[in-house]
Formats: sequence, structure tokens, C-alpha cells
Amino acid sequence: MGEQQPAGRSDVLVIGAGLAGVEASLTLANAGRKVYLVERQPHFGGNVIKSEEVFPNMECATCMIAPKQSDVIENRNVELLTLTDVKEVRGEAGAFEVTLRRSARYVSLENCIGCGACFEPCPVSTGNGFEEGMSQRKAIYVASAGVLPNAPAIAMGECLRSKGDDCTACRDACMFDAIDYEDKDEELTIEVGAIVVATGYRLGDAGLPEEHGKGELKNMLGAFEFERLRASNGPTEGEIRTRDGEAPKSVAFIHCAGREELGYCSQVCCRYLAKFARYAFDKLDGVEVYEFVREESVPGKEAQRFVEATLKKGVKLVRTAAPPKVSGNGAGVKVEYRANGKSESVNVDMAVLASTIEPAEGAADLAGLLGIETDRFGFFRTDGTEPASATRAGVFIAGCGTGPKDMPTVVLQAQAAAAGVLKLTGN
Amino acid sequence: MPGIGLYLCECGPNIADSIDLDLVAAEVEKDGKVARVERFKLLCSEDGKKFLAESIKEHGYGHVVVAACSPKQHQTTFEEVAAGVGLNPHMIQMVNIREQCAWMTPDKEEATGKALRLVRAAVSRVRYHRALEQKEIECNPDVVVIGGGTAGVEAARRIAHEGRKVHLLGVAGLGSEPGADDAPAERVEELKQDPLAEVHEGCTVQDLLGFFGSFIARVKTREEEEIEIRAGSVVLATGAKPFDPAGFPGYGYGMLAGVTTVGEHARAEDGAPALGTDRPVKSVAVIHCVGREKLGYCSGTCCMEAMGFARRLKQSSPETEVTEFFRDLCLPGIGDDGFHRETEELGVHFVRFRDVEVAQDGDGLAVRYQAEDGSSDSLAVDAVVLAVGVKAGPSNADFAGMLNLGLDEHGFFQSEHPVLNPVGTVTEGVFTIGSCRGPASTSDVLIQAGAAAGKVLSALVPGRRMKLETRTSEVADKLCTGCGLCVAACAYGAVTRDDARRVAVVNEVLCRGCGNCAAACPSGAAQHRQFTARQLDQEVTQVLG
Repeated sequence: MGEQQPAGRSDVLVIGAGLAGVEASLTLANAGRKVYLVERQPHFGGNVIKSEEVFPNMECATCMIAPKQSDVIENRNVELLTLTDVKEVRGEAGAFEVTLRRSARYVSLENCIGCGACFEPCPVSTGNGFEEGMSQRKAIYVASAGVLPNAPAIAMGECLRSKGDDCTACRDACMFDAIDYEDKDEELTIEVGAIVVATGYRLGDAGLPEEHGKGELKNMLGAFEFERLRASNGPTEGEIRTRDGEAPKSVAFIHCAGREELGYCSQVCCRYLAKFARYAFDKLDGVEVYEFVREESVPGKEAQRFVEATLKKGVKLVRTAAPPKVSGNGAGVKVEYRANGKSESVNVDMAVLASTIEPAEGAADLAGLLGIETDRFGFFRTDGTEPASATRAGVFIAGCGTGPKDMPTVVLQAQAAAAGVLKLTGN
Repeated sequence: MPGIGLYLCECGPNIADSIDLDLVAAEVEKDGKVARVERFKLLCSEDGKKFLAESIKEHGYGHVVVAACSPKQHQTTFEEVAAGVGLNPHMIQMVNIREQCAWMTPDKEEATGKALRLVRAAVSRVRYHRALEQKEIECNPDVVVIGGGTAGVEAARRIAHEGRKVHLLGVAGLGSEPGADDAPAERVEELKQDPLAEVHEGCTVQDLLGFFGSFIARVKTREEEEIEIRAGSVVLATGAKPFDPAGFPGYGYGMLAGVTTVGEHARAEDGAPALGTDRPVKSVAVIHCVGREKLGYCSGTCCMEAMGFARRLKQSSPETEVTEFFRDLCLPGIGDDGFHRETEELGVHFVRFRDVEVAQDGDGLAVRYQAEDGSSDSLAVDAVVLAVGVKAGPSNADFAGMLNLGLDEHGFFQSEHPVLNPVGTVTEGVFTIGSCRGPASTSDVLIQAGAAAGKVLSALVPGRRMKLETRTSEVADKLCTGCGLCVAACAYGAVTRDDARRVAVVNEVLCRGCGNCAAACPSGAAQHRQFTARQLDQEVTQVLG
């Protein structure tokens, strides 16, 4: 296993610790490889941990992924580096030298036990991005209950200390000497034989008016907003509520919202909107559910049955040639559409648009650092017959970085990327 | 007899403030079952682990109970401490008095009472813990891939590697011979030249036996020779069948001249394809979603294949009118919307239907359809080409029987987990890829072939021994009546019946320790090693006490 090779040459860098990065890392670690798993956020698990339940078995998402996350934390071959970014990549396949930049957490992962005693005394309050701004968090925070590693970070830009104040409220509250205001950003250089890019996607707002979720359009939501409303660890503890705190009596789900603008189908929206419809039926007694569908795209052996069973619960399915026009109507949302050659409209208490799957933030910069190509949409390009290989030797890709994908395909591509690494650098 | 040591972790103020640990200690000491109770501020800290190790060693405990946080958090930590001082890790029982008591029960008295019950339960059960042995077995790193279509060939070439041989078996009659589908001939040739690969064409697989690390395939070759192939892992890539539209008269397939399927023309790369009619063909209808209703799923690949066909037709004879009748256009790939747009630009028409029927119309054919708005219409054409879905192959049931695999309602192989382990199966070391596990596009097939290679290369490292699950089940011969209930209860094929001795036998390599056999056994012969009847009885009695 690479004993004859120079140190580091059989080691692997995995960028991004969501579903794809976790799977690629564990597959490589189980083969005996040392893996550096870097994650930009203070926690890991990617977007999966935002979901309450996942298609097709409506399995609890965090319960599904948590054992994998524990494996990462406990696996001696995986070094998880949170709050870390890739800064520079030199060398070539089999001998990369990578500079990483690790931002200060200001909380010691060794000392912190995750009791959360530091949150309450912090005087700063700001919108929680993980919850799409639907709840508040402190300057010292965890994104949501249950995220891993089970330790907070201080967003120093928001902390009073960055504004010249000598606040020590969190340190005073900590019983374990875990808060370190002197923590510094640091750079570290690693040597690896191969790189796996697993930076995922950004849930985009093509098709979503800029004002969604605010003002006149306050009850028009994107996918993650609705997902977090149903999440038992979310801002409403799983109760689906309008911005005024009411249980909506009618909800519209709008397919293909940004498809025309983007030029591609985001692949998973038909399935997740069917899942959302189930959320609505589960949580809202007597709710009216509308689905505005352009093309029902439900490939695979499970999806159609799932969608059919959902429709049977009483979805009012409307076929429209183009996505409907959505506007604010008092506290509600007005949906105007054309069906069977006629213009019609319906008023609902809440509308959820199929948010689009778009290249991750910083994908273009990362492509530049790595010297790999992107396609016309900004996704990383793969080698035709090697669907987990980037356009440069030694760089592999797993997950939605190459385009929209369902979760099983993300996992498969991660395993395929691991195969590519193992074959390249000697198994 | 070495005693039981009880350790109470304060977790700083997290446990100490919410639970009266002194009371817990005093009460448990009074019971007289433990040798000693000790408190520590933070057992998981470096100091705490050192204290725990030294204390276990000093007192020579045989069993240890740690009352602290969730075992999810620190079971491994404390097991490692125990192993470090020579105590078998299975002799430790953790009690979660933080998440399940201190953080959940606001009333201190109630929380203390709850913690006391849980600690007593652990103390009572742990005395009956046995040291379980970590067993390892030799593994054969070689792999047998069954099915020589694109999936099999692509998996084989990714797996063949130094120190590991791959056997690729083309299977007669399954359409999964090397080169049978669109597996590029040069890839097959490449494999045949590879000294690490052995390609057998035209085989019949007679039986598959064994378990992860040690499988045997009994195979009859094309030359009627019976051979045995040994491998540590099995990859099934046996393909699927196209849906047969002949049984559905509405499509006219097999009855009307000029009705063919897209699949029949897949290889006609150049020139105008023969469309099953002697008439000059000036207009063609391509009908999507054939079989979808009957199958109960969208195959996901036919729309693109149908458009690919229409474009080839348009390119070879641009004057031919081509109309695609579809119910939904399934275009999930990143480039598919663009492909669709280009196809429209080539002059191919697209018509959405709710219902469709093909009928004879004079010398030609008519496509009668109900449009989306409910209106009926008809289009006269010279030929009709059907885009049919994918159906599970007949051999899936045979392989499922040999390897204890699950089949879904459609007859495709089931995944071990639909999201986390799509190509894995309940039988460890057996993987399914390509259309034998469900409809798959070429890009899906390539990803799955790569994934199977990743799983195999990661799990079967040449020279490495495989560690087995320690918390497994066992059957006491003397109590076993050989009724076979446990054999039926086991999802992993790990329990078999020894007919000569009339007893059930557990294969420790296959057993995952779920305990189903123990639950099913009416005579108490099948027991889970870490959840014996006695351990459970002691634990539950104390909790309810």
C-alpha cells in the first residue's frame, strides 16, 4: 500500500464534507488511505442534514447520515478539518502539494463537550443562515441542534470583541476552558497523491423573485425554507407555519420554476416536491395541496409509485405549459397560470417553488485553483467514459459538482471517485 | 472473582448539577453488587481517561459500568481505554445519564431516580457479559463479475489491478455477453489482453456459494466444461429485457406492418433504418412511454433514446416528417434540455398525449391520440417506432436464490440501502450494477461500475485479513430442536440447518448480530452474544423495578 512511495503520495485530499465527501473519504479510509477531509463550514454533513425525511422511504435524514458522520469522526485514517478552505494547489497527479487555510474557530474541539452553556449569555443576535434566516442565533453558535462536530464556533465578524468591546460572556459561561479568543487563522501544507472535489451545489433562486420570503411575497418559499419548516430541529420545530405563524390552509408547489432560465432540468425537484406534498398532508389537517407541473420527470424504479401514491392523498394536479406567474396577495400568494388554453388563477396561503440546483459558490475559483474545466453552466466537466474524473489527471469529482443528482447517484459517484483514486495511486 | 467497577462522570456541571450523583453512588453501594463507585469531573478528558485506565488496572475489575453521556459519543473512547489495560471491550456497559436523564428531566429528584434505575440495570446486566473474541479471516482479493455487457466490462476493467484478478463471465442467453450491448469492442479486447483479467464467454452459472472473502462460482463454459472459480467478491451485471409491446394490441406491434421499436434500430448508425414496411417512408411517429403504465415506473432512458433515433432518421433523410408523441419528457441530464431543443430545431415535432393508439389506415398507419386538453386527433404516418421501457430479466430470481438477495416488486435486485449503499446487497461482498438493479442510462451504468469497483477495492485489500462482527448470535446444540424458525427469520442467510445433526448453525462471517433468530427461537437455543436472555432479564427487571 504505497510503502515504496514518498510520504504523502498515497494520501488523499477530499474537498467538501457533505454526502459525497463523507462517502468518498470513508471508502478511501477503509482501503487504508489517509484522508484529509476539508469543510468550509464549522460543521459537516452538507445539505442532507437540512432535510427532515428523504425519498423514497421517508427515512429520517439526520438519522440516516449520522452513523456515517460518526464513522468519519472515529476513523483514524480521516482527518476532518472544518472551517478550512483550499488556497493553492501545486504539483501533479501522484504528487500534489496543497496549501489549506484554516479559519479560527475560537472554540477548542478537544475541550468543548457541546453543552451549549455559552449561547445564552452571548449578547449578539443575528439571522441564522442555516435556517434561511427564519430564526436567530448568537455570535457563538452551532448551526442547528445535532450538527457535528458537536461544538460551536464564534463568528468573529459578529462578535462584540471584533468591535473593540471586551465582552467575555461566553468564556465566563464555559466550564471546560474551551473558549480561546487568541485562536488564529492558520495555513497548512499537505502532500497528497490525488484530490476528490465534493463541493456540492448551491440551491439557487433562478425562477424565484428576489423579494421571495419578504414583504408582499413573504409566504412564497424556496425549497430549503420549506424543508426547514418541517425539520423537527428547525425554527418551528417541524410545524409548517406561514410567516404570521398560522397553519396554511392551502399550499401550492410549483415545478420547473427556473428551468427555462437555466437551460437544464434540476432532476430532483419533481421528487422532492412530491415529498413536500406529503409533509403538508402529514402536518396540516384538511390542507389543500396544488402541484403545478410542466413535465413530470420521475425516472427510476421507485419514483413514479411514490408520486402516484402522493397524488392519491388528494393533490390538485395542474398541467401548465409554462411555470405559473406568482405574486403577493395580502398575506397569501396568487398563482396565475394557463391550462388547456385558458388563463386561470388561484389564491393560496403558501407557495413553494422548485429551487434550482446550481454550481456551488466558489466553484469557478476552485476550478481555477485545481486547473480543471467547467461546462457552460459552471459545473465541473468530467471525462466522458470516467464519470468521476475531472479534466485533469489526479483530480476526481463526486456529487452535484458535476450537475444535479439524486442522493444515491451522489453516493455512487463518490465510490467511483474512490475507485479512480485507488487505481491511480496503487491499491 | 474480579468485581465490578462503577464510574460516574459529572460531565462538568452537565450531569452533576442535574443529578444527585452522591445519592446514586450511595444507593448502588448499598446494593452490594459493585466493588467500588468513583466520580470524575470529565471522564472523556485526557486526565479522565488516564484515571479510568489506572483505576481499572489497580482494582483488577472484571466488568465496568460507565455512567456518562450517550454511547454514541464516547462508547468507543471507553472501550479503547479498557482494551489498553487488557480488559475485553465487551466487558464495559455505558449508561446514558446525560442525554437521557440530566438534559431531559428537569426535576432533579426524578432525574436522579431515573439515573439510579438505569445504573442498576447496567450493573445487573454487565455481570453476565462475556469477553467476545475479535475474529479475523483470510480474504481472497479476486473478484468474479457476472455479465459481460457495458456494466460488467466497465466494472472488470476498473477492478483488475495488481494483486487482484478479475474473472468476467459472459452469460449465455442473457444479452450480457461481451460486446452484446454497446460495450465497446476495444474495451473487451483490452480486457482479454490483460493478464489480470480472465474472460469466459457463453457461460452458464450453475451455483454460487460462500460469503464475503470466499465465494465459489460453479460455472459451465461454452465448451461444456465445468469449472470452479474462487473469489472474495461477486459483481452481478446481468442486464435487463426491453418491455415487449406485442401483448398490447393498441400499439399494433407484431400485427401491423411498419411498427418497430427504437431498440431494434439502435445499431443502425448509418443510412435510413429499415422501418418494417415496404412502402416509401415519408412520415414517422415515435411513441414514448410504451409500457410505462404497465410497468409502474418511468424507465428514464427512453426519451433520450427516442430523440437520438429521430435525429439519426432526420440526418439520413431530412425530408421525412418525424413526430414524437410523449406523455412527459423525462430529460434529467444536464445536457438533455439542450438536446431536446436541437432536436426541435432539426424539425422534429413534439405532441403531448394522454392516450394513444396505432391503427391501420388504408395502406399506412394512423396514430390516434387524446391530447392534453382532452380533445381527440389523429395523424397519418407511414411507420411507427415505439420507445419501450426496461423490464427486469428472468435470471434475477435465480441469482437472488443462490446469493440470498432481495428482489423488489418489479423483479429488480434490491439495494442494501436505497440511498447509502445502492450497489450493495444484504449479502456482504455481493454487488449489483447496471439494469439488473433497475433502468439505467449509460452514464448511470458507468457510475455504478465505478462504484462497485470502489467498494471492492476498498473492502478487499490484498493481504489484509477481514475483521468479523463480534456481537453475533449462537445456537446451543443441546437446546435446539432443529425447527428451522431461525433460518427463516434471518435476513442475511447466516443461519442454516445442519440436517445430519438436526440443529441450526450460525455462520459468523454472515451474521450481523441483529438478533432476529434469538427472537424467533421458541426453545431459547438461539441467543445473541451480547443480548442474552439473562442479560435482558436482569436489565429490564431493574429498569421496571
